[in-house]
Amino acid sequence: RYVRQLQRLQLLFSPTAADARGARQFVEEAAQDFARQHPDVVLYVSPHSGPGPAPVLRAEYLNGTVRDELIASKTSEEIVQLATKLANQSGLDIIRIRKPFHTDNPSIQGQWHPLTNKPSILTVQGPRLQPQ
Amino acid sequence: MVVLSAARWLRSRLSDRFWRVQEVLKYARHFRGRKNRCYKLAVRSVRRAFVKSTKARREKKRFLRALWITRIEAASLEHGLKYPAFISNLAKSQVELNRKVLADLAIYEPKTFKSLAALAQRRRQEGFLAALGDGKEPEGIFSRIVHHH
Repeated sequence: RYVRQLQRLQLLFSPTAADARGARQFVEEAAQDFARQHPDVVLYVSPHSGPGPAPVLRAEYLNGTVRDELIASKTSEEIVQLATKLANQSGLDIIRIRKPFHTDNPSIQGQWHPLTNKPSILTVQGPRLQPQ
Repeated sequence: MVVLSAARWLRSRLSDRFWRVQEVLKYARHFRGRKNRCYKLAVRSVRRAFVKSTKARREKKRFLRALWITRIEAASLEHGLKYPAFISNLAKSQVELNRKVLADLAIYEPKTFKSLAALAQRRRQEGFLAALGDGKEPEGIFSRIVHHH
């Protein structure tokens, strides 16, 4: 069963700042629909009064990563798209994956070492023959 | 009154110069010397580093293929076969394994690689018999070809 990796979305904005207009429109119009469409994500709306930091959408994931996205001077539709993008992500860091595969047991027959294809007299120590 | 453009003596000055500089310097942090600290030197170094990394993507494929070939050659020599004989006889026996997989098998699955070398050796002997024997003996078992339609 699919478990959504996004735990909660925090909408931090100021109700009076000019660049938080999109955030305010989002809260008025689209936030309820978004919350209904994504029932396993908790949406917190925390307006802080007065001039504060830039409006930010904070996403917290199940593995603990916290991702902040600036929503200053963004329209309500763009914020919806951003929120759905964050909701479909997992919390893994967005860096280049070196290899698309990984194994904990790469070798089943035993990894090659310089003595694999040599005669076993070099490796095996038999019982020491007693001098007659 | 309505002013459409600012007066000529008014200048706009940069306020986020620090972040614009950091955008470049963050890619130069692991460089040697002053080019990991000084912006003017770092710009050139970072640009050259990006260009080199773009061009090197084509070389990486060639380099890795050469590495695999070296490894397969070493592994097949351990089993008494030279690389051209090994690869050609594997291809004739319709074993479509690429060099990457063969190199990984040689490292992590030595017994499988030994059996592949034995297969190539057997196909080689059958090839010799077919070329020198001239038609009277039956065809070798491992020389049979499977046709997929």
